[in-house]
Amino acid sequence: MIAQMLMDGLIAGSMIGLGAIGITLTYSILRFANFAHGELVSWAAYFALSVSTALGTALPGLSASLGPFSFGWSLPLGLIAAMALTGLLALFADTLLFARLRARGASTIILVMAGFGAALTLRSLLEFIFTSKPMYFTSALQIARPLFAGARATPDQLLGLGLAVALVAAVHLILTRTAAGRAMRAVSENQALAGLAGIDVAKTIRLVWLFGASLAAVAGVMAGLLVQIRPYMGHDLLLPLFAAAILGGIGSVPGAMIAGLIVGLAEAACVNFIGAEWRAAVSFFILVAILLLRPQGLFGKAGA
Amino acid sequence: MIELISYGAFFLTLALTYAIMCLGLNVQWGQTGLFNVGVAGFVGIGAYVSALLTTPDAPDRFGGFDLPIAVGWIAAAIAAALASALLGAMTLRLRSDYLAIATFGFAVVVQLAVLNLQKLTGGPFGISFIPRPFGALASDPLVFGLCNLAVVGAVTLAVYGALEHLMRSPWGRVLRAIREDEQAASALGKNATVFRLQAFAVGGAIMGLAGAVQGHFIGYISPEGYVPILTFQVWAMLIVGGSGNNRGAIAGAILVWAIWAASGAALAAFIPADQQARASALKIVMIGVAICLVLLLRPRGLLGERATVSRHVENAGDHAKDKAS
Amino acid sequence: MSEAPALATRGLVAGYERDLPIVRGIDLTIGKGELVAILGPNGAGKSTYVKAIAGTVPCFGGAIMLDGKDITAMPLHQRISAGLAFVPQTENIFASLSIGENLQLAADVLPKALRAARLEKMWAMFPDLASRPALRAGQLSGGQRQMLAVARALIVEPQVLILDEPSAGLSPKIVSSVFAMLQSINRSGVTILLVEQNVKAALAIADRGVILVEGQLRHEGNAAQLATDPLLAELYLGAQPEKASA
Ligand SMILES: Nc1ncnc2c1ncn2[C@@H]1O[C@H](COP(=O)(O)OP(=O)(O)O)[C@@H](O)[C@H]1O
Ligand SMILES: [Mg+2]
Repeated sequence: MIAQMLMDGLIAGSMIGLGAIGITLTYSILRFANFAHGELVSWAAYFALSVSTALGTALPGLSASLGPFSFGWSLPLGLIAAMALTGLLALFADTLLFARLRARGASTIILVMAGFGAALTLRSLLEFIFTSKPMYFTSALQIARPLFAGARATPDQLLGLGLAVALVAAVHLILTRTAAGRAMRAVSENQALAGLAGIDVAKTIRLVWLFGASLAAVAGVMAGLLVQIRPYMGHDLLLPLFAAAILGGIGSVPGAMIAGLIVGLAEAACVNFIGAEWRAAVSFFILVAILLLRPQGLFGKAGA
Repeated sequence: MIELISYGAFFLTLALTYAIMCLGLNVQWGQTGLFNVGVAGFVGIGAYVSALLTTPDAPDRFGGFDLPIAVGWIAAAIAAALASALLGAMTLRLRSDYLAIATFGFAVVVQLAVLNLQKLTGGPFGISFIPRPFGALASDPLVFGLCNLAVVGAVTLAVYGALEHLMRSPWGRVLRAIREDEQAASALGKNATVFRLQAFAVGGAIMGLAGAVQGHFIGYISPEGYVPILTFQVWAMLIVGGSGNNRGAIAGAILVWAIWAASGAALAAFIPADQQARASALKIVMIGVAICLVLLLRPRGLLGERATVSRHVENAGDHAKDKAS
Repeated sequence: MSEAPALATRGLVAGYERDLPIVRGIDLTIGKGELVAILGPNGAGKSTYVKAIAGTVPCFGGAIMLDGKDITAMPLHQRISAGLAFVPQTENIFASLSIGENLQLAADVLPKALRAARLEKMWAMFPDLASRPALRAGQLSGGQRQMLAVARALIVEPQVLILDEPSAGLSPKIVSSVFAMLQSINRSGVTILLVEQNVKAALAIADRGVILVEGQLRHEGNAAQLATDPLLAELYLGAQPEKASA
């Protein structure tokens, strides 16, 4: 059953990795640990659910299953809408809250606390609107197919895994090969100098929010598809996301993905050898270990 | 009338246990600027440690040890202080937001531990028969209630007095100096990290004590008592009371607890049962909005009245700091 | 060509806090093609003055004119396209980016058609950098960093180039090559405003020098005259032994 454990770990890990890329980006460029990132994940799942349900009702053809997957075209369309809407939500929060604090030169910890307040607000609003009852994108049950050495996975799970790998590559390329990516990295290192180099820092920061929120949206839809949709889904994912971002080294996109997989595998091992009830504690112990042994993370620069 | 007085005593006693937590948080955030997102974890540790030490021997779990209540309370404070010190030692020399993340994770782990370590904590069933101060008087609700109020009130006053004294001592002045201008403070040769660690542990100890006091007052504890919502409540109390200010922390705790209890009662009375969970979600929305509004509108008040946060510390690296020249 | 000076400040007041301005009313006019050195004791406000012109320190009063246009309220990044480039004294390159990325990101503000040619021009001008574009800029030596910072500023072909103590912390040999480079940039038509502690070297290439004390201009003069004025050197720059021998 070791093969199955690895498979489960990789699937959960790719989900964590996806969320952690968003956190590591916003963390390194906006320079604070955003506790509301988990809520972007949850809101995205509900956005996608609402849009895909509406689409499916209006055009029933769109909810017919796509090939081996459990969902129809309405879900990918819902995901695209969710990326846009979550981006707008993040920009809205930035304009209303974070940008004002930044303009005042607020310290990191004030921004962290603002994120905490925003998280409370956003999460409980979801609970108010949708109640805490779990929801699902589809009611279709999928059969896990045998893969190798007795390990099984559903087509949805394999799609998620593939999507995660593709997105890491895409984000990495955007950061290293495009003008917008260079601008983000420059702003991450030194905002004043970025301005002197002709970069519009305010615009770049808005871009980072959009980018981070879109990634949160993919993670949220994936978590909603593979597990379930709940107002607390993002909150519960937050600790693994932070652990992965720090383990990977803040700012490192490949690092966040690899660390996400490590966290996922560690959780799967915990479920297998210790017990499922301790799963949520795994991230904390990874976090403790990394802070004690290598606080800059596996792929981070010392002193960062 | 008598019923009203004994309800009043009950309400006030419970509110004061929150006031103690709030005082602990005030040492960490209000005085030192350390952001603790895991208040529930430290309160929970205190409650469980004291319960374990003071309950009579129970066949289905480890302990209890039937020790005096005072021993339980002291042990609760020590245990929470140790946990805080460990977390602080791990994170305080790193980025300022790592402490926030670590405390967040810590609360998750404490919650899991009390739920899963059934042999130690009673698991989901919790621990009951926690000895209550003046338990012998329980047959007379009024006297019993007033005696408990007196004890919890005395603890609150003692913590308040000790903190006021500490804040006026050289130690308190150094804390404020560090909070207001870290570079200036370290230039003075003070080891800022050690001072912040001490403040964090003192705050943690107070939260642990508050957890123990509350557990003994109610007589029963279970994992649901230490979920994240407790953290949010204590934050709301500190923010309403105005952080940096110990009297405000106590007043804020009583006020927020009153609003919380009253709105809970109103919800139960006027909102249909199936909508009550939704309505209480709105209560949390309000806490969140309040936190954001205070940050936006009263940033100075947040760090205490004398706070002068240097706006330019971050880019002063290569310049002499003396403005006198 | 218009008659407007390349750069001018009128009664400029700037600093870090409104009630404690560091720059207290500076009037300075720099003609097209001039190389002006700003001298003055430590803490006089030289860095604050040039940062205010570049836009990283807020102005509380007065005006900054670039080629006749008022840029006082212009956001930082737009001053670049207006023709102003600034090389700060420290942290003037992106250490976590490669040499190539440092230049590329500065070129990104140019129209697409111009970028490749400008990059080529910089590579030709700084062969030391061209030989290893993929190296992380943080691994460069002090002199090479200064070169990269200047290249980053020049790639947009500014009309006015401002540098804050480009020779600080460099070995004497490198200092002279930095100054030679500045002189040739100036001869190619770029107006230069140069803050320097290295008085002798700065005045050797400058047309004019100004002395700043406690946030105000105290003295202004022809570079050659200033260089041989021992009284000024003692008053404002501290008596330096090397000056006595000059
Ligand atoms: N970031 C800053 N915040 C507050 N004051 C500063 C800052 N940077 C410099 N100063 C003050 O401004 C004055 C002038 O400094 P500066 O412009 O760096 O002088 P110079 O470059 O002539 O040595 C000094 O008194 C210095 O302490
Ligand atoms: Mg200077």
